[in-house]
Amino acid sequence: MEVKRIESNGFEELWVNMGPQHPASHGVFRMQIKVDGEVIKEVIPHIGYLHRGVEKLGEFLTPVQFLPVLDRNDYLSSVSNEFPFALAIEKLANISVPERAEYLRVIAAELMRISSHLVFFGTFCLDMGGALGGGSTIFLYAFREREKILDILEKWTGSRMHLNLITFGGVRYDIYPGFDKDLKDFLKDFENKIKEYEDMIENNPVFLARTKKVGILPKEIAMEHGCSGPVLRGSGIKFDLRKAKPYSVYNKFEFEIPSFPDGDVYSRYKVRLMEMKESIKILRQAIDGIPSGPINSLMPLKVKTHIKLKEGEVYEAVESPRGENGVYIVSDGKFGLYRVKLRTPTFYNLSVIPYLLKGALIADVVAILGSLDPVFGDVDR
Amino acid sequence: MNALINSLIYGIIILLIVFTIVAYLTWIERKFAGRMQSRIGPYYVGKPHGWLQPIADVLKLILKEEITPKNVDKLIYNLAPFAVLTPSLLLFAVLPFSEKIIISNSSVGILIFLAISSIIIIGGFMAGWASNSKYPLISAIRGGAQIVSYEIPLLFSIIVPCLLAGSLNPLEIVKKQKIWFILYPFVGQISFLIFLISGLAEENRTPFDIPEAESELVAGYTVEYSSMKFAMFYAGEYAHLLALSGLGTILFLGGWKGPFLPGPIWFIIKSIILFLILLWIRWSYLRIRIDQLLKFSWKFLFPVSVLNLLLTGLIVILR
Amino acid sequence: MVKALYITLKNLFRKPVTVMYPDKKREMPKRMRSPLFALTKDEDGIIKCIACKLCENICPSNVIKVLPSKEKNEKGRPYPEEYELNLSACLACEYCVQVCPDDAIVMIRIFGWATKNKEDLILKKEKLLENYEKYKDLISECTGEFLRKMQTPRRQN
Repeated sequence: MEVKRIESNGFEELWVNMGPQHPASHGVFRMQIKVDGEVIKEVIPHIGYLHRGVEKLGEFLTPVQFLPVLDRNDYLSSVSNEFPFALAIEKLANISVPERAEYLRVIAAELMRISSHLVFFGTFCLDMGGALGGGSTIFLYAFREREKILDILEKWTGSRMHLNLITFGGVRYDIYPGFDKDLKDFLKDFENKIKEYEDMIENNPVFLARTKKVGILPKEIAMEHGCSGPVLRGSGIKFDLRKAKPYSVYNKFEFEIPSFPDGDVYSRYKVRLMEMKESIKILRQAIDGIPSGPINSLMPLKVKTHIKLKEGEVYEAVESPRGENGVYIVSDGKFGLYRVKLRTPTFYNLSVIPYLLKGALIADVVAILGSLDPVFGDVDR
Repeated sequence: MNALINSLIYGIIILLIVFTIVAYLTWIERKFAGRMQSRIGPYYVGKPHGWLQPIADVLKLILKEEITPKNVDKLIYNLAPFAVLTPSLLLFAVLPFSEKIIISNSSVGILIFLAISSIIIIGGFMAGWASNSKYPLISAIRGGAQIVSYEIPLLFSIIVPCLLAGSLNPLEIVKKQKIWFILYPFVGQISFLIFLISGLAEENRTPFDIPEAESELVAGYTVEYSSMKFAMFYAGEYAHLLALSGLGTILFLGGWKGPFLPGPIWFIIKSIILFLILLWIRWSYLRIRIDQLLKFSWKFLFPVSVLNLLLTGLIVILR
Repeated sequence: MVKALYITLKNLFRKPVTVMYPDKKREMPKRMRSPLFALTKDEDGIIKCIACKLCENICPSNVIKVLPSKEKNEKGRPYPEEYELNLSACLACEYCVQVCPDDAIVMIRIFGWATKNKEDLILKKEKLLENYEKYKDLISECTGEFLRKMQTPRRQN
């Protein structure tokens, strides 16, 4: 973008472009920032660089064929994209799920939650530290832990990121012999490592000075814009779909919901750190109590018109690592779907950016954008 | 005449040694940083430890294409790399490698060192202004502010060993160190810490590397340079760092003194150890913001270094 | 403040986690799903596929095209005259492997199969049969029979 100089009252203001290709914008995202010295006056965001037309694809693919395509929405935690779709179709078609399958779904969801929060952790410090410097050290440590999770998932389902695990009536892959030993070894090692990383970052006065009292989001603005997930819990509201409207078998596990009242970048980071520890608790309880039995209640699929739905509409939502991930389906009684609408969390979380960036310094842009944890497959679908 | 030829020969030998060490400092840094991050550094060029990597890097930088943008200020653009490399190499003229090996033996060696090392930022500013673009300009302005603020604590922390030894000549300072100055009861350690912090800031290294490798301004004031000119900026930075470590060894760690091995080798080993400590700090800390940087310098480091100086003066009087 | 330096120093003395590819290769798990396919043959060397077109029906991205033949082969089964699989659009979802009634199509557990031009990514029947001969011991554990057995609800008596 050319430099437009606006001269008013003798001061000059510059338009700076943080373009779609940028080492710190977490994906393809363009922001036009009006800058006066170091202070930001106005922000115009542009999205839509990753639009693939997923909602239109849902109208001529049948539900069974649509499941692997939905995986690619929020590519960092793919189970939380298939989960609400499967729950919605099961509600419309009255299919029940055996208990072992529910436990396996919960284990996969919590493992992907830890993996997604580790990616947040690594890239947050990488943006603030620099690619050659302290940030990349923490980035590589976080990804070293994530590799162990992805190895476990690869031995279980065959694929590392796009699992294609959930299907209507249960799950598709059963656990292999030796799974619980692998998982328990990993959990024991991970608890010690989390303590190490927490010590390493929190005793660092540079980190505290850059994240406390920066990017404060008050409660009312967060509720007005429809934010959810750690962005909402970092502003003092204790709302989590796993406790407010329990789905699957989450009411059998004991865990807590962290929330902090300050609303700055530090509390959002802290909420995600405590959530990782709560996920470890849930995983321990789940792996100790898996019942035996079948993993699917329908016969395995043969043709693409596997499920026939009756007329109606339904909305189901799930707590993904970024917020409330929901699917709204309208079906007209034939083999396809009339309309699929995906309510993705990052689209609404990003809409507070013009409010948050007004009055901040340029060096704060990366910290604030990183703390909202955007994934642009979610925003553009 | 004899002294002139002596200095010339020493100058050429020291320059060659310094170039080799600077090239291999990049290899040491990559190996060391790799091990701290649970990975192996260079491996393929010269298996299994990758010790031919600096030669491969130099060859690549020479053979790359030189791209000059259209609307730059040609004279200043071409002069800026020289303005950064030449003072960095000149600094080695006043550092003694052993009792007899010193290129120019003057009685105000430390003052010359400080004066030359303040010129280096002018080269950076020239580069930022001459590349006709927003991002190098912003980074050069920030660099100028940072270096000006950290000159004073650096100066006050260098004066402390000079006061304790009683002269500005580097040869005299090393000869007067019966115990190393870093082990002096109170003022030794504080001066060493202030020297390390201000040295990092002068050098544009993390946690103070705001002009250089930003996440918003992709490579700072060298973003429009390619091929050999970029290599000169790069080599100038490492030569400056080595010279600063050399000064630290002379002032605080005893120079060339040590058992068994000859003098120059001890000097080089101690400089490299100090360089490793600076590396260790670089790869563990995040980056500080520009206004917090300036607040830290003027509100905290400046009073502490002044108090330190007063305390040293008291000790010298009472001795 | 000093804790960060201490932790970095501790990691300096740990063993690095790098696997030096291509000098040493990583152990591939038994169920790995990498999108390279092979058409299987039975003990006599005749192709197992009966050209039932179930895999073409179920694929979400329409990468498989099957043309059945008009007459039967020497074992009395129909066979595919042309079989084409376009690897550049495959999602690796394993639906085609699951629905095949005869275990005729399987996935290979190999990692580096990149090619230099795009035409090499469209696999025809001869290439798929050749893949079966080349990579016979790298076939994934998940064949059609295995997956269907894992997913059937067992009767509780």
